[in-house]
Amino acid sequence: MKSLPVLAGIAALVVALAPISATAQAVVGSPAPNFTAADSHGQTHTLSEYRGKYVVLEWHNRDCPYTHKHYASGNMEALQKEWRAKDVVWFTVISSAPGKQGYVTDAEENEYLQQMHADPTAVLMDPEGKLGRLYDAKTTPEMYVIDPQGKLIYEGAIDNRPTTEVSDIEGADNYLSDALTEAMAGKPVEHPYTRPYGCSVKYAD
Amino acid sequence: MRRFRFIFALIAVLGAAICAQAASDSADVSHLHVQLVFPSADLYPSGENHAGLYFKLEPGWHIYWSNPGDSGEPPKIQWTLPSGVTAGALQFPAPRRLPLGPLMDFGYENEVLFPFTFQVAENAKEGPAVLHAKVDWLVCREVCIPGKADLDENVQLLHAAPMAEPVSGVDQSIWDRLANALPQPLPSSDSAVFQPTPTGFRLAVSTGQREAQAEFFPEDENILDNPAPQTMTPVKNGLVLDLKKDPNLTASPAQLRGVLELSGGRNFEIAAPREVSYGVARIEYMPIAASAFSFAALAHIVGLAFLGGLFLNLMPCVFPVLFLKGLALCQSGVEERHKLRAHGFVYTIGILVSFWVLVAALLALRAAGATLGWGFQFQSPVFLSLMAALLFFLGLSLAGQFEVGLTLTSAGGSLATKQGYAGSFFTGVLAVVVATPCTAPFMGAAIGYALAQSAAVTFAVFTALALGLAAPYVALTLQPAWTHLLPRPGAWMDILKQAISIPIFATVIWLAWVVAQAYGAALLAALLTSFLLLAIAGWFLGRWPAQRWTTTVAALFLVVVAAVCVAAPKELATAPKQPGSTAGQASASAAWQPWSADAVQHALAASQPAFVDFTASWCLTCQVNERVALDQPEVMQAFTAHNVALFRADWTRQDPAITQALAALGRSGVPVYALYTPGQTSPQLLPQVLSSGIVLDAVAKLPTSATQTAAGSSKQK
Repeated sequence: MKSLPVLAGIAALVVALAPISATAQAVVGSPAPNFTAADSHGQTHTLSEYRGKYVVLEWHNRDCPYTHKHYASGNMEALQKEWRAKDVVWFTVISSAPGKQGYVTDAEENEYLQQMHADPTAVLMDPEGKLGRLYDAKTTPEMYVIDPQGKLIYEGAIDNRPTTEVSDIEGADNYLSDALTEAMAGKPVEHPYTRPYGCSVKYAD
Repeated sequence: MRRFRFIFALIAVLGAAICAQAASDSADVSHLHVQLVFPSADLYPSGENHAGLYFKLEPGWHIYWSNPGDSGEPPKIQWTLPSGVTAGALQFPAPRRLPLGPLMDFGYENEVLFPFTFQVAENAKEGPAVLHAKVDWLVCREVCIPGKADLDENVQLLHAAPMAEPVSGVDQSIWDRLANALPQPLPSSDSAVFQPTPTGFRLAVSTGQREAQAEFFPEDENILDNPAPQTMTPVKNGLVLDLKKDPNLTASPAQLRGVLELSGGRNFEIAAPREVSYGVARIEYMPIAASAFSFAALAHIVGLAFLGGLFLNLMPCVFPVLFLKGLALCQSGVEERHKLRAHGFVYTIGILVSFWVLVAALLALRAAGATLGWGFQFQSPVFLSLMAALLFFLGLSLAGQFEVGLTLTSAGGSLATKQGYAGSFFTGVLAVVVATPCTAPFMGAAIGYALAQSAAVTFAVFTALALGLAAPYVALTLQPAWTHLLPRPGAWMDILKQAISIPIFATVIWLAWVVAQAYGAALLAALLTSFLLLAIAGWFLGRWPAQRWTTTVAALFLVVVAAVCVAAPKELATAPKQPGSTAGQASASAAWQPWSADAVQHALAASQPAFVDFTASWCLTCQVNERVALDQPEVMQAFTAHNVALFRADWTRQDPAITQALAALGRSGVPVYALYTPGQTSPQLLPQVLSSGIVLDAVAKLPTSATQTAAGSSKQK
């Protein structure tokens, strides 16, 4: 009892310094932060449930000209089909806030998937930007690859041509495919982190 | 055949002419106007052959710097040129930070000119020529629109400089207005180095003068955490800038390259090498160089800090603690006098250790990228609540509700030595913790200086401050003769002890008021509830003293109180009010506007003097100054008569912008009073203890009208 005010004093000092606690962050080479999110069909997905598989996260905004380049050309849809055939889980993530460019309802998104013949495992709806901020997603399209052990092994651009020209897709070095190919062959990823290009993710203000 | 050939040639010429008509040197595309700017249409081998790509943007739209930041792309240009002519790369003027939610881009709004040059070979064909540019860009507001244009410029290729000077036109005026915005190389007398820190980089730049403002734009992508605030610390001969690195950056770069923007629109291109030979401590004052850093200055500041510590004993926040200390001294009177020195020593250690812990925490947090200043713990509602609860409990004990065995509150004569030492130590801790918001006169300058220096100097200054705070008590214990002056212990001590609970409760009221002011009535209610719980715990301890179960019950109550203090702020604290409405609320006038650096600049640009009151509701000195000086009718009248714009910067809650503004003034805490005169770069700082006379004098010396600014400002010194 005697030392209680003293202890409280120490506690006060310690607590005063507490707000620095580090938040989980997506860092390449470290475990990818876990998340639970609902998809456009109302089903929830938790990252840790997909241990044992490669997981791709694709940040998406259908009205962003950079995203549009990869969808209108069929490039993104082809990548989705190619890698899902190799047992990769592909989550398209929409972090646009309501009222901002690229925000869509579940129904609108499902219609878009049909129309574009897009084939992700699921589209995660993130209107509050929680998932986006957790992964510090900056642009659309920005790509992340998580390995079967749950480690983030790639973050960055989809390829090395930061343009909106469809003609630039052919011949580009596709960083996403490189990372998956290298990792599946047991090799280290040559470019684990590149500058993502595209439109800023349209978070709420 | 001839006729056919002629017609064919004619069609070709006409066709070319039509094409030339169609392509122009400018285009108006979505949300912007883009134009090739040629101050002279004559290009020749030895000429400078300047040109530029000019963008005029609709309000709110921006285009990007060479490193666009978190998103975006810089404009690109592709040339089709006559043989013998080559174009240099676009050069990028210093950009601005463009925040976008949690992201940060670097770019330009309104208008921008990207200059470049042409090289003309000696053997290039003389005569008229067309330079064809294909320009690509990305223009964004919230949404982004890629754009492109084909631009043609008709020029004359010459072999030597033309005889007549070219006539200046629209292009020339754009050129003259914008071409000098390019960052300059750092003068050879200046230097820039950087050092890796646990969270990023510390960039130290010497420019030969104390710098008040700085922003760094990294040339390389993926180096910095772009949105993180850049913490600038002015030093005598330049500045130190703490930058947060990109969390994905694995290897530290050999060079930190980019553009450094300083106050007054000065931009420099820097390539700072990594400094490995000095410790991080060294780099901070390294820019000051051996000549400017003098031990005389340090000794002066250390002396001031000691004096400041002495005066701190008289400040309202520390006074109650000192009461306790004096009481302990009297108690220990008869048998314990020989132990007094040891107690004085332990008390000093307590003060020293807690000062060091506070400073180390502050430095560590700042190194981690937080923009904090002195007294930062009072910006935490959790700290405020715990502090108030602790003092309330102490007050209950002093008032006699229950006894705790600490020396400082014990009324009995038999003191266990061990408890006594712990008591002395933590009285010292308590003195420091409550003293921090009372930056006494003398201390503002010392703390501001200390925090801008190397860690070693910082600790020297704070050690002096700690010794000053401990000095009066230590002097008493060291001189046994003086202790004879103290009265003999007796019943009066019990009365005095109870009386001391009065200033303690007053302090509690003050803390509760700060909580209510800054975080709202809901949090105040939670705090008052925890007071009730403490009172119940005290009742248990007093009613059934020295029993294990009461101790347990009381401890339980205290745990609950601590939990409430920690959890309640998160749940109940109201959102920040409009800036200026908390500390400024009590002073009943709309004359005070919320502070922002831009607002002050606006006033000064309109030739209006500006007065800034840097304040916080937990700062008692600030409250006193506002009531006895600033809000006095005659002072307000003088402000009005001299057309002074009044700004209040409320630092009650954390505010990096205000912390930076304070740092720019060489201070690290409140109160600070700054009087800006139009046309002068640095403001006049008024003393930290104000009287209406001081303010009236300062205002009276202001130039009476804007036109007399120059004359007035020279008179003022």
